[in-house]
Amino acid sequence: MSKTVLTIDDSRTMREMLNHALVQAGYTVIQAVDGIEGLEVLKANGADVVITDINMPRLDGFGVIEGVRANPDHRATPILVLTTESDAAKKERARAAGATGWIVKPFNPVKLVEAVRRVAA
Amino acid sequence: MSELAVTAQVSLPPVLDLQAAEPLRAELMALRGRPMALDASQVTRLGGLCLQVLMSARKIWVEDGVCLTVDQPSSGFSEQLAAFGGPELQFQPEGGLS
Amino acid sequence: MDPFESIKQTFFQECDELLTDAEQGLLAMEAGDADGETINAVFRAVHSVKGGAGAFGLEDLIRFAHVFETVMDDLRSGKMELTDEVAKTLLRAIDVLADHVAAARDGGAVDEGRSAPILSEMKALIGGEGLDDDDLGGDEDFGFVPMTVAIEGDDAPAFDPPALDESPAAFEPMADLAAEPASGARVWRIGFAPKSEMYAKANESGLVLRELARLGEMDVKLDADALPPLDQLSAETAYLHWTVLLTTEADEATIREVFEFVEDDCVLTIEPADGQASPPPPSSDLSDDALAAASADAPLDIAALLARVAGEAPTSEAAREPASAPEPPADLDVAALIAKAQAPIAPAAPKVEAAPVAKAAPPAGSSQAITPTATIRVDLDRVDRLINAVGELVIQQAMLSQQVMESGLARSSNVALGLEDLELLTREIQDSVMAIRAQPVKSVFQRMPRLAREVADMTGKRVKLVMEGEGTEVDKTVIERLTDPITHMLRNAIDHGLEDPEGRIAAGKPAEGVVRLRALHRGGRIVIELQDDGRGINRPRVRGIAVERGLISEDAVLSDEEIDNLIFQPGFSTAETISDISGRGVGMDVVRRSIQGLGGRITISSEPGKGSKFTMSLPLTLAVLDGMVVTAAEQTLVAPLSAIIESLTPRAEDVHFVGGKDAVIRIRETFVPLIDVGVALGFRETALPPGQGVAVLVESEGGGKAALLVEAIQGQRQVVIKSLEANYQQIDGIAAATILGDGRVALILDVDALVTTQHRRKPAPRAEKRMAG
Repeated sequence: MSKTVLTIDDSRTMREMLNHALVQAGYTVIQAVDGIEGLEVLKANGADVVITDINMPRLDGFGVIEGVRANPDHRATPILVLTTESDAAKKERARAAGATGWIVKPFNPVKLVEAVRRVAA
Repeated sequence: MSELAVTAQVSLPPVLDLQAAEPLRAELMALRGRPMALDASQVTRLGGLCLQVLMSARKIWVEDGVCLTVDQPSSGFSEQLAAFGGPELQFQPEGGLS
Repeated sequence: MDPFESIKQTFFQECDELLTDAEQGLLAMEAGDADGETINAVFRAVHSVKGGAGAFGLEDLIRFAHVFETVMDDLRSGKMELTDEVAKTLLRAIDVLADHVAAARDGGAVDEGRSAPILSEMKALIGGEGLDDDDLGGDEDFGFVPMTVAIEGDDAPAFDPPALDESPAAFEPMADLAAEPASGARVWRIGFAPKSEMYAKANESGLVLRELARLGEMDVKLDADALPPLDQLSAETAYLHWTVLLTTEADEATIREVFEFVEDDCVLTIEPADGQASPPPPSSDLSDDALAAASADAPLDIAALLARVAGEAPTSEAAREPASAPEPPADLDVAALIAKAQAPIAPAAPKVEAAPVAKAAPPAGSSQAITPTATIRVDLDRVDRLINAVGELVIQQAMLSQQVMESGLARSSNVALGLEDLELLTREIQDSVMAIRAQPVKSVFQRMPRLAREVADMTGKRVKLVMEGEGTEVDKTVIERLTDPITHMLRNAIDHGLEDPEGRIAAGKPAEGVVRLRALHRGGRIVIELQDDGRGINRPRVRGIAVERGLISEDAVLSDEEIDNLIFQPGFSTAETISDISGRGVGMDVVRRSIQGLGGRITISSEPGKGSKFTMSLPLTLAVLDGMVVTAAEQTLVAPLSAIIESLTPRAEDVHFVGGKDAVIRIRETFVPLIDVGVALGFRETALPPGQGVAVLVESEGGGKAALLVEAIQGQRQVVIKSLEANYQQIDGIAAATILGDGRVALILDVDALVTTQHRRKPAPRAEKRMAG
């Protein structure tokens, strides 16, 4: 069965890129436009992997990580954060909050798919 | 005494990940002292923490000299167990019933 | 479409939205009513522009956006204070950012004379902060990753074909590998001791081992020495360690990459263990994995990697994938490789099942909205078809009603009553359908702040644009045609209306002028007002020019209002020099014409020294029209109700002929031209004899009045407008057509054209003077 990846990003461009690369690689993709929606969608649908942006309105990526980890059903759900090379502090903060891994923007589709595969059981 | 006890049947859940570890530990601990048959036919995912629980349980069962078997392992279970280095999970006390 | 292009288009669309949001945030910041979230939102918008630009390698855009983003970051962290000066700089910067986006989209270049100074200003604000060009170039954040290529898989060649072509060398190592596969195989000893934190972050030792197994042959040893018996076990504490002997072509960096996410949460050692190197595997055993991994950095590898991933991802329950390559690649040319890459993808790629909760909609404009209204995107064509069909429905319903009435059925009959309900329902459907196409004028208004800044810059004026009622909705067909008139009026208001700062101070006003742009609904129409607090209309001068240009006679008696409205006369321009701003050979008369073309009207009111106010009033839609149905020369015609003042029966003694030819009619104390519609439209040669027919007094958009002479008035009704342009050529005096209830086609009069045509064809100075008075 195809694995489901939930992408949370307020940028439509980024969502489309993620969607395209992941669908090409055989994943089912569901999308959310901010952290609040992301947590709602995760609750309603579940997902095998969550990919989240950091800077988002309403609820940012750190909030997403905390929200996912606080849900007893999703303590083991892998979370990848979209980050930039120059943002070491943010990456560390995300890790401390419980992020499983990261994807460096602008992402390379191959590395993206590889990162998802690495954490998706 | 082991001959007298009824073998406990435990059906392992499909996903043995971080979340499954503590419930599995508690379930097995409650059955300490009884021969136990773990049904692994439904397992699709075996994670490191649950592997620890199973291996750690075996230590106790060995200590107690009680029979522990893994029955009908799914292919996923067998393959993942092998990838971990293929540790022994079963225990057959000498002279015990199979 | 090429998915890459399609995503790029999405990016540019999104940029427009982001820039608009950012601009609005900056305006709020300038006005001093910005909170932390406003600054954050601007930061995010600029950040998103940069992010997308990075993915597409748009370097100029990235550089500019990066500096901008850094300023925003300093602002939101409180490192920099938000002063009026900073806000103004950023407002100009957002314009330049928009230029960069446009240049990236349209392939042009940005005017460095505009971009460079702003860039320096922003750099000065952040104190240069490691933002030298060198640093920029070296920063990974900027996406000079050549890998913007190959998300693509099903449509060879990948995203960016040139990238494939440019690196033929990348094939070489692979070809070598195929020929001599064992050349670089080594054995590594890897010690892997996970910590509890690793599991807590949802990383999994089993998956790490699985990834490692992809690199080659593995011998795994499990070390359970630290594992306590179950009664002393803490379920989420890590006790197990592994030692792996890995035979692989991969180098240490590639191996280490497997541990990228867990490196800080485990004890890891990687060292060569070549002493015990096993003999290299025979070439038939060489898996795709080894092949791919060995040259993981070669761009060409993407296709192969992707194929592998695609084939595996959906079913990767099984941890290990023993070397199960198909036949060894015999002929490694590009085509073969791509074909190979495609093969597993096609069956594996499922349908896009973003379905149940996927949201294509952009983030809700207002960030405080908790539950965004559910929306769907519909092709505009479909809505247009629906509107046309409903138009037909309205006509059919009217025809049916008429036939029923003509058949002599009583009004109280069930059929007639049912028809009345049908009519109500039809009207309701029509309103609802029109509402689908209604849009807030925001899309037009939002372009104006930038225009105002530009015009102000070019003219040396200082201006603050205040907008109200951006949420006012109007039919899309009207929206599209609002931009030009508003643009022109705004230019005019700043260029001609406002004084320069010195002039304003001398006049006792603040140096900064205020222009208010406002939209509202009034009486079933949309009204757009543009008001400035400038010098107002210089009436003596306007009058002088009008006389000079022969627009009015020297002794014409005009009210203040009439003088003000002279600026809408064709050929009138008060600008002594054609400036770059309002010039271009276009005057206010063109604005008036285009508004009239929409069935609207425009007026001006002015107070010397205090400013002017332009008021445009437009129908909410171009699809329906309230009209008066009249008969002229046996033709059924419709006059727009908005233009009609009153109707009257002319008495023969009130009709006079100027110069023995041109008819005028006296209405109370004034004379207005009397236009025989049948003659004016060429339906008949001779005019109705004086005293016959009905005169409909109309007012053209410029305020000029005339009486339209027709045979009879049939009544008022709402009609569905059918454009004539599709079927006929433009006829002077006719705006469009409609179909009436009885099935007849009726032409809709272009009142203004009729009135002005009359003027031009038959100059009648006396009549004009009267008209004016």
